[in-house]
Amino acid sequence: MTHAVTSGGMSAGEVVLEVRDLVKYFPITRGVVFKRKIGEVKAVDGVNLQLRRGETLGVVGESGCGKSTFAKLLVSLEKPTSGGISVQGQDISRLRGRELTRARRNIQMVFQDPYTSLNPRMTVGDIIGEPFAIHPDVAPPQDRRRRVQELLDLVGLNPDHINRYPHQFSGGQRQRIGIARSLALKPEILICDEPVSALDVSIQAQVVNLLEGLQDELGLSYIFIAHDLSVVRHIADRVAVMYLGKVVEVGTDLDIYDHPTHPYTQALLSAVPVPDPALRGHRDQIVLEGDVPSPANPPSGCRFRTRCWKAQEICATDVPALEPRGGSDHPSACHFAEERDVVHAID
Amino acid sequence: MTNTDTTATAAPKGRGRRHTRLADVDPSATLLDVRDLKVEFRTRYGIARAVNGVSFSVEAGETLAILGESGCGKSVTAQAIMGIVDSPPGFVTGGEVRYRGVDLLKLSRQERRKARADRLAMIFQDALSALNPVFSVGFQLGEVFRFHRGMSRADARKKAIELLDLVNIPAARQRVSDYPHQFSGGMRQRVMIAMALALDPDVLIADEPTTALDVTVQAQIMNLLAELQRDLNMGMILITHDMGVVADVADKISVMYAGKVVERADVHDIYADPAHPYTKALLESIPRVDLKGQQLNVIKGLPPALTDLPRGCNFAPRCRYARDRCREDTPHLYQVTTPGGDGSGRTPRGSACHYWEEVVAQ
Amino acid sequence: MTDIQSAGPLGQPGPLHGEATSLPPGDGPSTERNASLWADAWRELIRNPVFVLSSVAVLAVMSMALAPWLWTSLDPQDCEIELGRQGPGGGHFFGMTKDGCDMYASVIYGSRPSIAVAVLATLGVVLVGILTGILAGYYGRWVDAIISRVVDIVMGLPFLLGAITLLALWRKREWYAVVAVLIVLGWPLVTRIMRASVLATKNMDYVQAARSLGASDLRIITRHVLPNAIAPVIVVATIALGSYVAAEATLSFLGVGLRPPTVSWGVLITHGTQWALSPGHAYLLLVPAGLLVVTVLAFILMGDALRDALDPKLR
Repeated sequence: MTHAVTSGGMSAGEVVLEVRDLVKYFPITRGVVFKRKIGEVKAVDGVNLQLRRGETLGVVGESGCGKSTFAKLLVSLEKPTSGGISVQGQDISRLRGRELTRARRNIQMVFQDPYTSLNPRMTVGDIIGEPFAIHPDVAPPQDRRRRVQELLDLVGLNPDHINRYPHQFSGGQRQRIGIARSLALKPEILICDEPVSALDVSIQAQVVNLLEGLQDELGLSYIFIAHDLSVVRHIADRVAVMYLGKVVEVGTDLDIYDHPTHPYTQALLSAVPVPDPALRGHRDQIVLEGDVPSPANPPSGCRFRTRCWKAQEICATDVPALEPRGGSDHPSACHFAEERDVVHAID
Repeated sequence: MTNTDTTATAAPKGRGRRHTRLADVDPSATLLDVRDLKVEFRTRYGIARAVNGVSFSVEAGETLAILGESGCGKSVTAQAIMGIVDSPPGFVTGGEVRYRGVDLLKLSRQERRKARADRLAMIFQDALSALNPVFSVGFQLGEVFRFHRGMSRADARKKAIELLDLVNIPAARQRVSDYPHQFSGGMRQRVMIAMALALDPDVLIADEPTTALDVTVQAQIMNLLAELQRDLNMGMILITHDMGVVADVADKISVMYAGKVVERADVHDIYADPAHPYTKALLESIPRVDLKGQQLNVIKGLPPALTDLPRGCNFAPRCRYARDRCREDTPHLYQVTTPGGDGSGRTPRGSACHYWEEVVAQ
Repeated sequence: MTDIQSAGPLGQPGPLHGEATSLPPGDGPSTERNASLWADAWRELIRNPVFVLSSVAVLAVMSMALAPWLWTSLDPQDCEIELGRQGPGGGHFFGMTKDGCDMYASVIYGSRPSIAVAVLATLGVVLVGILTGILAGYYGRWVDAIISRVVDIVMGLPFLLGAITLLALWRKREWYAVVAVLIVLGWPLVTRIMRASVLATKNMDYVQAARSLGASDLRIITRHVLPNAIAPVIVVATIALGSYVAAEATLSFLGVGLRPPTVSWGVLITHGTQWALSPGHAYLLLVPAGLLVVTVLAFILMGDALRDALDPKLR
């Protein structure tokens, strides 16, 4: 609880990461030798977000909403089609070579799958020490072993296990190793792409608590990408909801979870099961029809209109802007935005 | 699907294994009654006791959730009931699986296969790999009728369309000739449910049916399952790790840990006051979508290796209530009475903890 | 240790160090270096009787090639033409060759060109194959398009016909000619395997992680891709060693490979076939051919054992 208070107060801090009109289209090509473009997958389509120092911004959405591509764009694993990503005022999306390598120190990523994110043929010491090998000026060679052991200690692993291999650790421990690697260069920003979704329930809490502890200790800013809305509510100060490459609603955790105004957010939240059988049948349940349309051929106007119970003609023609609507002060991209509580018991 | 037919009851006691017969079913007996089931995997690293004396029962129209984390033996339990344990290395080494009074483990191979087709059905987590990619969905559904009911091709197709309708697949008549990869994840799961329901089973086992799906699709599928279960009056065994899903659909719960049932109760009782430290810790370790600022409690350590189980209580090394006795003396399933739910539910409450009274009191 | 208090008020500092202490105890730091996947594979291999037997055979053949004098004190060049085709006996346990040399010594010394051709051809094929496979798999796009098309074309040539044609055109009957032709025709197989393996490896999250740290392509290839992609090539190379021993024999038999005065297994088999059907002379074929078969089999069994040990899917 103290955590929520401190980070709430800190959210007035300086902006460390700013994303402007970020777009990523993947071409769909046909032909082997002579490739021609026959279409585009609009994975990320005009995203604007800000992240402040010490803050956690949760990004939620279902598979295919573009949240993983968004993460890859942020850490320059993909180049944006257009738009900009500023880390502390510097646009990293246009950097190359040495400058890019330097800029990467400030923004690092924690991967989803602890079984594929660690090279099985390297020792833990080599894995966590690799950032120092790539950025030799961060730590002189004679200091590296000590630095690696400090990092192991920081994430709650035994520093004596530096010579072990990843397969000698459990999933939760491997995720700690991945977190230690991402912290080696002392980044300001950590992009966590589904960091706990591959872990068992009882282990998830360990890693979530670790991430929270590290944030307090090191003043990190997180972008926390997840499909599990309960975990995001627990860790995030602000939340952005994505659907088919666009942010449909963004606000503080209170705005999004207790006062959602976008129909998609409402449907998403109402579908999350609550571990309390007393609430059975007492919650507002919205069951969506059908599946998410293909991002290669998204609906015109509002992308959610094909599954929306409020859709009218205007939704097919006008793209709703992300702006405060419906008597609420947080932005929502729906022509008919209206508050509706779907997570608590109603009766 | 590994249709290995060997539910080799290793070490059949006495000479001349006597087969029971499916025809002996007693309609008044419990729908499915599993008693002291034991399954072990003989690996080169030793014997892994995946299921170590598990008992539970399901009546028609009832949903039992088997809740546990990966490696607790919940899926192996389901496979043992269905008779599809991969053998070797897996062997059912003891216990009974009574379907309406008939022990399925003692059936002949042929009768077992019949039981599996007619009386029990199972749906899996990964619908894509459970469906054959080279045949159309309609053909695979129809095959069930042609093979088991001797229907003609046209009749089977008609039945296939009916089933697709039953599981709410839009435009079933057109989609019946589509192939599995042409369906989305949620639709594929519906097809698999349709296939499971084809021969009107009495027991439906759902092994993590929505784990691979998005949350809005999960809601659709769980609603569908609950509806079908009610309409068809099936007994359902829902195997899952998700305490949220369980709270929404289950009537009663068996919580498994390291191959054993550690707690069993009606769903309301278990969430209101858990009587086993593991259940309690699990409930305290999950965040909730309707609460903010909750403290996540952590279960320290890891589950034990099934090849090397600790003496005494399996959970003792991670338990905050553990005393010396727990490390010596294996707790049996104590009968639990609580002020909130004093066993007034249909299920007698049980907790495999010497100090369950202390757990409930806190 | 009746510790209700260590569990204590919910969520003490403990959470950060939750599962840290729960690794299996008892393995000290001394044994830890050996826990790599390679070391695990090795431990598995030396427990596999097939691997042990086949590697004993392989080592024996290798030592014949490297140090034939360890195996026989006789000189294969010390021949008396009038003793030609004399059957086993009289101190010549395997009889005499058609030229009157000791058969046993000839077979031992004859292993050298056979094995040398196989080893060099395999080395060449593996080097070229790994390099092109990595280029095609890692860089993709036009590099891949070019390499893959060349691979398709070369794989389209029938191996034997291609080898005969090339050697017939070149007219060199020396070991290097045979090696060169085997490499030219053999590399695409390794390229294909390496390319597929690299494609699977380069999408692993640890490669993405290295890239997001700013690692160079060279570093990613040498530290992350190569060590994780090379296992199938090791298996294929082992089997290829066996098949190149056989290929040398085949080409020599067809008259486009090695030829006398060089004595190789292929040359000995060629001679043997001329007399094999005349009574009492079958040994002329059976001795060199038998050794060839045993050698090829040993390499193939070794490759199979390696595949079992290195294939992560079986773990």
